[in-house]
Amino acid sequence: MFERRLYFHIDWALLAAIFALCGMGVVMIYSTTADPTRASSHLWITQLYAIGLGLIAMVFTLTLDYRTFTDKSHFIYIGLLAILVYVLFFGTTQMGARRWIFLKIFNLQPSEFAKVGVALVLAKFFGEKGGEPQWTDLAIGGVLTLIPLGLIAKEPDLGTAVTLVPVFIAVAYLAGMRLRILGVIFLAIVLTAPAAWMFALKPYQKQRISTFLDPTQDAKGAGYQQIQARITVGSGGLTGKGFKQGTQGQLRFLPVAHNDFIFSVLAEEQGFAGVLVALGLYLFVILRALESARLSKDQLGSYLVLGVLASFTFQVIYNITMSAGLAPVKGLTLPLMSYGGSSMIATLAGFGLVLNVRMRRFTN
Amino acid sequence: MPIEERRKAGTRLSGLQVVVVAAFAVLAVCFWVLQVVQHKKFEELAENNHQRTLAWRAPRGLVFDREGRVLVENRHSYSISIVREHTKNLDRTIRTLAAVVGLDQAAVRTIVDRHLREPTYRPITVVQDASLAQVAAVVARRLDFELPDVVVEQVPTRRYPDTMGSHLFGYVGEVSDSQVAENTALKSGDIVGQSGLEKVYNTLLMGEDGAKRVVVNSVGREIRTLDEDLPTEGKRLQLTVDYDVQKAIEDGFDSIGLNGAAVVLDPSDGAVLGFTSRPAYDPNAFASGIDHSTWAALTTDRDRPLNDRAIQGRYAPGSTFKMAVALAGLEEGIITPEFHVYCPGHANFYGRDFKCWRFSRGGHGSIDLRHAIQQSCDVYFYTVANMVGVDKINKWATALGMGVLSGIDLPNEVQGIVPSTEWKRQKMHEKWYAGETISVGIGQGQVTTTPISMAVYMATLSNGGTRVTPHLLKAVDDGDGWKPAPVPAPQSKVTIDPEKLQAIKDGMWMAVNEPGGTGGAAKILGHDVSGKTGTAQVISNQGKAAAGKTERDLRDNGWFVFFAPRDNPQIAGVVFLEHGVHGGNAALVVHHILDTFFAKKDGKPLPPKPTLTPNLNPSMG
Repeated sequence: MFERRLYFHIDWALLAAIFALCGMGVVMIYSTTADPTRASSHLWITQLYAIGLGLIAMVFTLTLDYRTFTDKSHFIYIGLLAILVYVLFFGTTQMGARRWIFLKIFNLQPSEFAKVGVALVLAKFFGEKGGEPQWTDLAIGGVLTLIPLGLIAKEPDLGTAVTLVPVFIAVAYLAGMRLRILGVIFLAIVLTAPAAWMFALKPYQKQRISTFLDPTQDAKGAGYQQIQARITVGSGGLTGKGFKQGTQGQLRFLPVAHNDFIFSVLAEEQGFAGVLVALGLYLFVILRALESARLSKDQLGSYLVLGVLASFTFQVIYNITMSAGLAPVKGLTLPLMSYGGSSMIATLAGFGLVLNVRMRRFTN
Repeated sequence: MPIEERRKAGTRLSGLQVVVVAAFAVLAVCFWVLQVVQHKKFEELAENNHQRTLAWRAPRGLVFDREGRVLVENRHSYSISIVREHTKNLDRTIRTLAAVVGLDQAAVRTIVDRHLREPTYRPITVVQDASLAQVAAVVARRLDFELPDVVVEQVPTRRYPDTMGSHLFGYVGEVSDSQVAENTALKSGDIVGQSGLEKVYNTLLMGEDGAKRVVVNSVGREIRTLDEDLPTEGKRLQLTVDYDVQKAIEDGFDSIGLNGAAVVLDPSDGAVLGFTSRPAYDPNAFASGIDHSTWAALTTDRDRPLNDRAIQGRYAPGSTFKMAVALAGLEEGIITPEFHVYCPGHANFYGRDFKCWRFSRGGHGSIDLRHAIQQSCDVYFYTVANMVGVDKINKWATALGMGVLSGIDLPNEVQGIVPSTEWKRQKMHEKWYAGETISVGIGQGQVTTTPISMAVYMATLSNGGTRVTPHLLKAVDDGDGWKPAPVPAPQSKVTIDPEKLQAIKDGMWMAVNEPGGTGGAAKILGHDVSGKTGTAQVISNQGKAAAGKTERDLRDNGWFVFFAPRDNPQIAGVVFLEHGVHGGNAALVVHHILDTFFAKKDGKPLPPKPTLTPNLNPSMG
């Protein structure tokens, strides 16, 4: 199964960049939460455990041939849907959303794993299909994406649900979907936006968007986080205020600093310099992973890489934009850095598949 | 994989690479703009976020007596305020705070509404001088983040240790909107002097508030202090007032149990040694914001305790006016000290009969100036006044300080009236009738004076004609030592023939020290007290009969004016008793004051608090 020579084909540089980002995340979590007077002082340790578990998951997704996973992807997909349905009825409710399964030690967030599951099933579907996808192929792929998307949106967790859309678009794009169709999809999204605004969005979601357009209209409420995020980032300056010296994060002007807004805290404490390092690492990870897609010995592999990478990239770019107060505030975490076990495990498992594809580029 | 498809996929991957790189470049530029280009702006915003400047109220300056004993000081009190800058829901805050401190919600709202237009960072004080229970209740809620927008501040509050000289010190209170509009140095919420010395010397006493910059977290809890700008305490004032004399005055009034006023001066320069007005109020009640009911009680009290009788009350001076008439007669060359008048107990002027107070005992017989003053013979002064005429009486009474403002450094002094033909023509558009002069001769009729002007009258008479300006400020400590305050220049000066003046002084000395005098109660062995009683009708005898059935207190007012010793005087002044029936009762109070004053001069132990029993049977004049 795992031949010794494969070991030499592991992309150590990508791996190093990934764990460098994880390390930065732990440091920032420590900085924002390790105040002994607060109940959350152990969070950075929990995050280390999550990274450990993620590493195990990664070894697992790396050891078996990725084709084994794609072969079984319909089972994985159906199992995933079952779990998502289960969550809707029996999940743990926190802050008004039913997103978690309580597992004694920690809460599992199945929607995080849905990204990998959808990437696998779409890679299999388009990979086995071959050739330029037709309308029917796109429709089937779209439905495969929309079912889990709908279930996650119902929790409600609109942020995570939306991250499935890039998975579908990216895989379909790489499979050779006509650019005109891509245009049609974008047009459809734009046209349905007002209808979604009217019927699908909940009041708090509408408020977040309207607040984004004019944060000052509600400076104490929904606009607060956005204004504070901008202040946090801007006040960091070139070199930052120093480790644990950020006033915005430390004094809790920025909510969930260790989670959704961890990049803002990084920008405050480590400054523009720290931001460039983090941006550089993320860009390296993404480009390096794209390289794996290019090197893949089959279409299936490159689709899989791109599927995994699409939600990752989308989430990274969106979260960082939001961290600077330049996008509406959404509960989207920053993969690899934000506090969160399910996200960490799912992301590292996903990168296990990416490494897997590159590592097995010479095997048959 | 077919070559064709691999090529196409490669192109598409390159496209994605370009998109990703472009997106990251845009992000880098955005962060550069925020963190480098706009850094200053956001740095400032971040500082405003977590740094709070708290006002640090300066204590008002202390006030000392002429020997450095504390008359007015400060104590610490707690005030509870709302800082709207951190308020998310003002209604909720008002509701919670009212419940926590046990106040009516509407009352709290009224206070808040009054300050709604001020900047939100300025605290709105809801409870002044909060009890420890209130402070504890609020602090507990604050730590629970229930009331993050409520602050508890320790503020210095005025304290008047002995409740004496209320009208002299006055009181402090929150600055009014109109005061802020008038004086740009004041800001809403400041505590300023609203009456008395606190008002007159407010600029000196006020000091400069400091500030404290602290770091707070997102719910307003103070984390640490960044830096402090210490407040500057108000300047310390030393008054001319002598604590012991002041205490003697207060004790005297407490003992005699009557309302009135007293002013005691140093006749050489007008320094006020003691000053009171009764009934008094407790200035401590104002120090931390007077409550509604106390204020209402003070303003509706029929005895009008807020009225400063010493400088605002105008009363007929009665017989105490006689020395002014005597001086006018002597100085105008109309009489000599040896001028005799026969007093049968009454006399007829212009067809009207005027009685002497000794009418029932057959009058004073033939009497000269000294004895007329000693025994307060009315017929003598009717006669002299008739000879001198109202305008000359006006001239000399004015020179002695009556009917004019004394110029004391207290607010809202009122001017008494010494009539003249000119005054009557202007005021009433009528001719002065010679018959009206007769009553003026004994300090009745149109004459009214304020107690302060009577004290000046005594000082001027005793020092030989210099109308000194009564003043309270002796020295100011502006931070580096005491600097004496300049003594205000005399209001005027007249030359008086010493021999003629001596005759008047003799009469006053005899009134106290010789049998048959009216002011014997004020006598102190070895100190040549010179004085004169005065008993003045509140209402004419005919009016008295008409008003007899009303509940109004119609008893006569009692005066005693004095200086001592007769030659080289060291103290001069007046005690006025409202409805004191006659001047002899006032002399009882004066005795205690002078007894204290001279005991101190002589280094003897001060007399104990007196037990004075006023004689309230109307009998003498």
